[in-house]
Amino acid sequence: MGSSGEVLRERIIELLPRLRRFARSLARNAQDADDLVQITAERALARADQLRPDHPVASWLFGILRNAWIDEGRSRRRRESLLEPAELAERVGDPAGGSDPELLCLQDALSRLPEDQRLAIALVLVEGLSYKEAASIMSVPVGTLTSRLARGREALQSMLSETSGVPP
Amino acid sequence: MTFPEEVLMAYADDELDAPTRAAVDAAMASDPDIARRIAQHKALRNRVHSAFNKVLEEPVPARVLKVVRSDPAEPRKSNVMPLRRRQAHRWTWPQWAAVAASLLVGAVAARLTWVYTEIPGPIEMRGDRLLAAGALAAALSDRLASEQTAAAPARIGITFRAKSGEYCRTFTLRQPALAGLACRSAAGWEVGVLAHTESRGGSADTYRQAASSMPAAVVAAVGERIAGEPLDQSSEAVARSRHWQPDGAAATR
Repeated sequence: MGSSGEVLRERIIELLPRLRRFARSLARNAQDADDLVQITAERALARADQLRPDHPVASWLFGILRNAWIDEGRSRRRRESLLEPAELAERVGDPAGGSDPELLCLQDALSRLPEDQRLAIALVLVEGLSYKEAASIMSVPVGTLTSRLARGREALQSMLSETSGVPP
Repeated sequence: MTFPEEVLMAYADDELDAPTRAAVDAAMASDPDIARRIAQHKALRNRVHSAFNKVLEEPVPARVLKVVRSDPAEPRKSNVMPLRRRQAHRWTWPQWAAVAASLLVGAVAARLTWVYTEIPGPIEMRGDRLLAAGALAAALSDRLASEQTAAAPARIGITFRAKSGEYCRTFTLRQPALAGLACRSAAGWEVGVLAHTESRGGSADTYRQAASSMPAAVVAAVGERIAGEPLDQSSEAVARSRHWQPDGAAATR
């Protein structure tokens, strides 16, 4: 890898905070999110030659992270089905997940959404990408993205109004 | 005029083309319900966005930076096998989950590529090597697998000769719940692989169970290194009496 590799490395370092933010909206806790970011960086550096010059680096990296997350989905589900409810409850309170109650509340709500809706929300609401960019990262038409986003939003809205509507 | 929810959502996300946007604007002026729904979409968008924005302010963990800064194109040092690197990667993800009895957290080769976990007390770092210390070093040097108690802080699993001649022993630690493989070198017991074992409650029973089922990474490392069969009790005792020196070289430690 020559100087173009160095340029990519610099870009990845600049984008790490955003990649971490994106990963946090997908993974259940900070530890898992950073694993995803780490895998993304490794894969990106190993596949630097696949990055087309006209392709925005950020979208490319988000795409790699999204794929890594989907790859892990199968083992994650298997794992979560093995955990007992008490353990799941412990994990929600995992200090590695951050202590901000608002963030935890949103992460918890997002984690209940189907994968495709969660991704749509992560890309558009969390990352602030356009529908077109988000659809391209998810490899779906814009119409598919908007319907996933609409369903995800509706579900999220009703989960959040349930929790905030009832005083503790 | 009525609009599908997706259009109101797209309005809130600023994704409508000019004519549709103008139509929504006009409808909003006469229908407060449309305005309310759009405001709700915007509020949710802002709420989600600002909650996750806090992540941007956190420092990026060193382990992540390290991956970006180290050059994967650089030839690996000879004693880090590509296989091990790949296994480490594959096993990194489910760090504390309940797959099988245990999971690899840090695959520790003689030269560390990543450290996923704090190095526990019974293991110390010298130069770029991990060496057994304290109760672990004592157990590795002095205990036969047959003479240990369930309550020991460090337990020995199997002992074998590596292809390169040295003696290696698998071990399990109670706290933190780790399992690994250590091989005897001139420097001491070098820890080549270290993996988390599942610890639920940490009773003696689960501890025994964890000791009998080694993490896959440790099993793989044993398979990679072992020459022949694990030592039986008497060969283990002989090796100990020779202070784990290969070929019975005079023990001068």
